Amino acid sequence: MSKMVDIGIVRYGAYMPKYLLERRLIAEAWDFPSIPGGISVSNNDEDSITMAVEAGLDCLGELDPSTIDGLYFASTTPPYTEKQCATVIANALDLRNDILTMDITDSTRGSSIAMARAYETIKSGNAKLILVIAADKQKPMPESMFEYQYGDGASALLIGNIEVVLSILGYSSTADNVIGPYKRAQDDYVRQFETKHEGLYGYNRNMLAAFKTLFKKLKVDPATVRKAALYATDPRMASSIGKKIGFKSKAVEGVPFLEFGNTGNAFALMTLMLAIKRAKTDDLIAFGNYGDGADAFLMKVLDKSALLNLRKLSQGIVGYKNTMIPLKSYPAYLAKKKLLTTERYTRKASPVRTWRDEKFLFRLYGMRCRKCGTVQYPIFRGCIECGAKDNSDEVKMKRNGKIFTFTLDHLVGGNYYDTPTPRCVIDLDDGGRILCDMTDVEKPEEEVHIGMDVELTFRWQHPGANFHNYYWKCRPVRFSNKPEEEEE
Amino acid sequence: MGRQGIRDRVAIMGVGYLKFGESWEKNAEDLLMEAVYNAYDDAGIKDPQAEIDAGWVGIQYYFTGLSGSALADYIKLYGKPMTRVENFCASGMDAFRNAANSVAAGTADIALATGVEKLMDEGGSGLPGFREFGHPVLPLPSAPAMFSMAATRSFHKWGWTKEDIARVAVKNHANGVHHPMAHFRKAVDLDTVMKAPMISDPLGRFDCCAMSDGAAALIITTPEIAESYAHSNDYVVVKANALAVETMTPWYKPSYTFTEFTSTVKAAEMAYKEAGITNPKKEISFAEVHDCFTITELIDCQDLGFSDPGKAAEDLKNGRFNADGEQPVNISGGLKCFGHPIGATGCRMLVELTKQLQGRADGLQVKDPELGLAHNLGGAFTAAAVTILGKKE
Repeated sequence: MSKMVDIGIVRYGAYMPKYLLERRLIAEAWDFPSIPGGISVSNNDEDSITMAVEAGLDCLGELDPSTIDGLYFASTTPPYTEKQCATVIANALDLRNDILTMDITDSTRGSSIAMARAYETIKSGNAKLILVIAADKQKPMPESMFEYQYGDGASALLIGNIEVVLSILGYSSTADNVIGPYKRAQDDYVRQFETKHEGLYGYNRNMLAAFKTLFKKLKVDPATVRKAALYATDPRMASSIGKKIGFKSKAVEGVPFLEFGNTGNAFALMTLMLAIKRAKTDDLIAFGNYGDGADAFLMKVLDKSALLNLRKLSQGIVGYKNTMIPLKSYPAYLAKKKLLTTERYTRKASPVRTWRDEKFLFRLYGMRCRKCGTVQYPIFRGCIECGAKDNSDEVKMKRNGKIFTFTLDHLVGGNYYDTPTPRCVIDLDDGGRILCDMTDVEKPEEEVHIGMDVELTFRWQHPGANFHNYYWKCRPVRFSNKPEEEEE
Repeated sequence: MGRQGIRDRVAIMGVGYLKFGESWEKNAEDLLMEAVYNAYDDAGIKDPQAEIDAGWVGIQYYFTGLSGSALADYIKLYGKPMTRVENFCASGMDAFRNAANSVAAGTADIALATGVEKLMDEGGSGLPGFREFGHPVLPLPSAPAMFSMAATRSFHKWGWTKEDIARVAVKNHANGVHHPMAHFRKAVDLDTVMKAPMISDPLGRFDCCAMSDGAAALIITTPEIAESYAHSNDYVVVKANALAVETMTPWYKPSYTFTEFTSTVKAAEMAYKEAGITNPKKEISFAEVHDCFTITELIDCQDLGFSDPGKAAEDLKNGRFNADGEQPVNISGGLKCFGHPIGATGCRMLVELTKQLQGRADGLQVKDPELGLAHNLGGAFTAAAVTILGKKE
């Protein structure tokens, strides 16, 4: 039997945003009971794609990006829900175009699923080096306890079969339709059912089952594990489940939840990076991740000095953690996380121009040139026919007229909807010419013709500049009789 | 028009362009760089920094380029007068007009007249709107809608039909088949044009020119200087060059007919006067006219005096404007086949005229041409440019 080729972690990297919000400031803002520690806060120009790129760059270091055969991206907060984020990240990392990519979304377990898939892909011989990057920027509901939970960040692992530092001995998974955190497609914020239920029937049951299967399969005693990095949303959860699995109590790595919050898919990998800091050659490292089931991994340190060397190749979680600065206030956090709904001014209309032109836009005034007598619309400084300057009288335009020419437009703003729209040049009764769209017309192809009688009607046009913009349209003449001529 | 004019005082010493089309893999910089360097090669310009005195670039849309740097930066020619010209679909020919005037005035010995547009980079179908920069609520129809209103009125006035305008597309596509630089090189039959999906009634898809990317460049100088360059034996001279700008809102002008484009009529009047032309039907050998829409070409032919009022459809049907007709119109294939990268079109037409007059047309060649006319019309029939070129004396 030939020697098994080691497949495992070749390099690691991380990204933590620059800012840390102390939980005390959240407590002060909402008069909540305080919790120690803080949450990492990314800037308003960061998302899970940009943070993934940073973690990827940290992980690759000086490594030639053309040697990478794949990129698996895990996130519950992908900026695109249609369009693969992994390709955007791969692009920014200057990876080749003939690589394997995928996005693994919708569960915090995505990062370990990505690890397992990378392991299998390499084992199959289809790749040598695959980048696994996990990043999350969760949007917690303001004035809720979720604000204490979520931090932003990214983790990266290079999985491969060349220069392996931590060999993956095996893994085991469960899939379970648990009542955990969820966010429906139409939801803005993540929701959670009673956490006690999830703790018992979701977290505990699945983590136990995954590790039990793994240790049975590998014929390893959990007590021999030197370090266990376990996903947990509070430190007590990790030590309690570690004990149930059979790890020695000092083996369970403390989760950095209090330090910077739960960074979603990146979180378990961050715990793993912290756990292997002081590991020695031949140490067994357990890694467990959770989310709609659990993944359990067992790894072995192949060479302590190579492991120590990794810390010189990338900043990793430790390096980034040391360069964070505290945010001064809770509102600063709201702004950075874009949690304040602000309506931005669009340049699609000028409200001041609408205001200035109200005489002809709303009141429908035009002018009669004193020099050539032409009645015209709208109100110009000079006459459109003879050019006479400032030599006219304002006249109220008639709302009835006849079509001079028209088109039936099948393109409205480059789109085909509500078409065809008649666009009509109208000679108004008693003078003046105007251009109006026609509304309230059922069969424009049959009804609209040169010479057709129309009347103007005041309508909503568009929402430019966040105003309601109104103006006149024309419609086929609605009443053939004047009101007083109506029969009883 | 000034008393003197520029007739016979400006020469075209070199021209350059490239294949028009959907240039997804190229920037505006690539297009302009290639067109300009093709023109340098054609003219025999060896050291642009030393030989070129000034440049103009016609561009309509902001994403193609801003200000004079759009030319200076794209071709890396710095420290000289460089100006971006914007005048709707006549932007390119207006860039040429400014360059020609500068040469005639003696402020530049050798000048660049260029045009470029990168419509694919904008991403939409149809020309980008002006809504963001225009009036908040006064309507501004799309280009097809504007010209459709002229078609509706022309049908009403002259009795023209959809078939009459469709013949423009059939003729121009038949010509474009032969032109290696054209975006579309496929013949279409009357039936295909007539049955194409409607864009803005009565104009269907084949009545409208396409969105394309392109660039073209001309190097112009005085006839004296042209004598010592590559085309000393066959440089082309400017006989006339005119521009007329009318209202952007003809729908507010009660006297506007929608059956003639007064900007074209006025620009042609100026150009014919400058060139000393009294009978354009006979004296203009061939023309590249603005066929942004099929209806436009028919009205152009009347406005330019090639047909009597109301008779353009009949003249077209009788073959007068065919490649082998009495007065070929859009022998290149026109905007119908090249598409219409706004700023580039005017310069592209002038490149075509130059090569035709030199007997080295890339597509079909006009037989023994004496005078060629190029015409642009842009906006809501707002800006019209007419240029007449002739052979070296």
